[in-house]
Amino acid sequence: MMAAPASDATLTVSGITKTFGGLTAVSRASLTVAPGSVHGLIGPNGAGKSTVIGIISGFIRPFQGDVRFAGKSLGALGPAEIARLGLARTFQQATPIAGLTTLENVMVGMHVHYHASVGAVLLRLPAMRREARAHEATARRVLDEFELGADVDADAADLPFGKLRFLEMARAITMRPRILLLDEPAAGLNATETLRLEAIIRAQAALGTAILLVDHDVPFVFRLANEVTVMNFGSVIASGSPDDVYRNKAVREAYLGPARDAEATP
Amino acid sequence: MRELRLGLVETATLCLVAAMVIGAAFFGSRLVLYNLTIIALFATVVISLNLLLGLAGQASFAQTAFMAIGGYGLAILSKTFQVNPWLAIAVAVLVSLVLALLIGRVLLRLRGHYLSMGTLALALGTFSFVNASTITNGGWGISGVPPLLIGSFSFRDPVAFLILAWALCGASLLVYRLLGTSHVGRAWRALSTRQDVSATLGIDVPRYKLIALMIASVMATLAGALYVSFTRFVGPDLYDIAQVINLMFMLFVGGLRSTVGPIVGAAFVILVPQFGAGLERYQNLVFFLLLLLVILLRPTGLFGRTRGTRARKNVLPPWTLRFRGGAR
Repeated sequence: MMAAPASDATLTVSGITKTFGGLTAVSRASLTVAPGSVHGLIGPNGAGKSTVIGIISGFIRPFQGDVRFAGKSLGALGPAEIARLGLARTFQQATPIAGLTTLENVMVGMHVHYHASVGAVLLRLPAMRREARAHEATARRVLDEFELGADVDADAADLPFGKLRFLEMARAITMRPRILLLDEPAAGLNATETLRLEAIIRAQAALGTAILLVDHDVPFVFRLANEVTVMNFGSVIASGSPDDVYRNKAVREAYLGPARDAEATP
Repeated sequence: MRELRLGLVETATLCLVAAMVIGAAFFGSRLVLYNLTIIALFATVVISLNLLLGLAGQASFAQTAFMAIGGYGLAILSKTFQVNPWLAIAVAVLVSLVLALLIGRVLLRLRGHYLSMGTLALALGTFSFVNASTITNGGWGISGVPPLLIGSFSFRDPVAFLILAWALCGASLLVYRLLGTSHVGRAWRALSTRQDVSATLGIDVPRYKLIALMIASVMATLAGALYVSFTRFVGPDLYDIAQVINLMFMLFVGGLRSTVGPIVGAAFVILVPQFGAGLERYQNLVFFLLLLLVILLRPTGLFGRTRGTRARKNVLPPWTLRFRGGAR
């Protein structure tokens, strides 16, 4: 789908802590996402999963701990700088940019790959035109792959829910990220759509992207993840292979619960 | 790029404007030449505002401040210090760029109302300053500003100035479109509605806002300087609060993010009060009623995109729907 990202991209989160007021959202959480793998992050509501994503992507500053990526600390960087290092994320609620078409939403996601300066744009230099044409073609191709080809000219904000989710994915993936953070990408999708999403995530991991997948749909995460971390009340209570985590007693008691066994079978 | 696509109506209007300017250059009376020149210069400022507010979503009221730098820069340097007027304009542009850089660093970090209030304070401060300072000759202003010359050719000739003014307007429009239809314009439009998401996509939001402010400041400075060169006079009244509001009217009547909107908006605000001349003291009332009518019937402006139902839903109060026969 996309050119293979560089493979030195390992995301290391070590001992991050964040409190909001008196509430500890995340407490000394650590995890590692290797290139080409899917790392599942699960936990009940309010476990701190979204805060972890917020910290990694630069929206939230941790009190303690560090996030490192490709040998760099992301601690002092803002979201835009982190994005330019090769990190893409999706949001729990799809975030189409209203007023831009579906195609433009994806093209704006390729912003970091536009190198033409303001001067080159004003002079419409050949290199600038080539770049613009190439990127537009890529965006159209990705939208076709995501079955959004018929909606390229629609205002993105007018798309129905399911399509918005895929637009959100398309925009993130077209950034050619080395790390991809997915915040509940399957929420609200039907079975067919979830399968399509699974295939997209697998394909992206196969390209060498390190993927952190947060979702409530436990079977979905277990099917995809090479590794799973479980959080509860802000702390990591288990991590390891899906099988190990599935058998972990603390996890079953704290999160999956005896009544949900059948549903959680990988 | 749907929003910036030139529709049939806009293309036709652009051609009509061009035809009128060319026709006026040959057959125009002094009044027609005067009005068309003033329209071109105000349209240029409105184009700068369209870039800043329409594309990048930064509600700046500071464009009159940049016009003042252009106007007073030209007047003071060329009259008081006998600097070549072209050089004076170049210096004014540099001063504006520095000011844009400075206020950009401070004000563009502010959002929404705070940015508006900050730039409004700058506009009011500019008026107070030029009204009080001795170097600007206070409320008297500066008259007898030397003409622009190329060799022995003088732009005192109204037809030559008409062409100069429209060349500036056309160039500004070209810059607006070339940037607007590129990834730069896309980044502006993205950050104008979703700053947070734009940052996630790797857009350096403060830097892009600053670029918009600087380009807009150059346009406003040039237009401000040419205005003063044209009328040979600069005074504080050109930059008072009414002017700030006029610019906003011009932009919104023409239509945010439309290409010909600024020209039509400027023409509307400049010409309509003249047609009401027989109405004497009700002149302004007629103007404001017409303005209100435009805003009620076409909330996205005369050339705004009607397909933007979203914008309309937000702009139009619900009771006005009845006027439109219940249509969306």
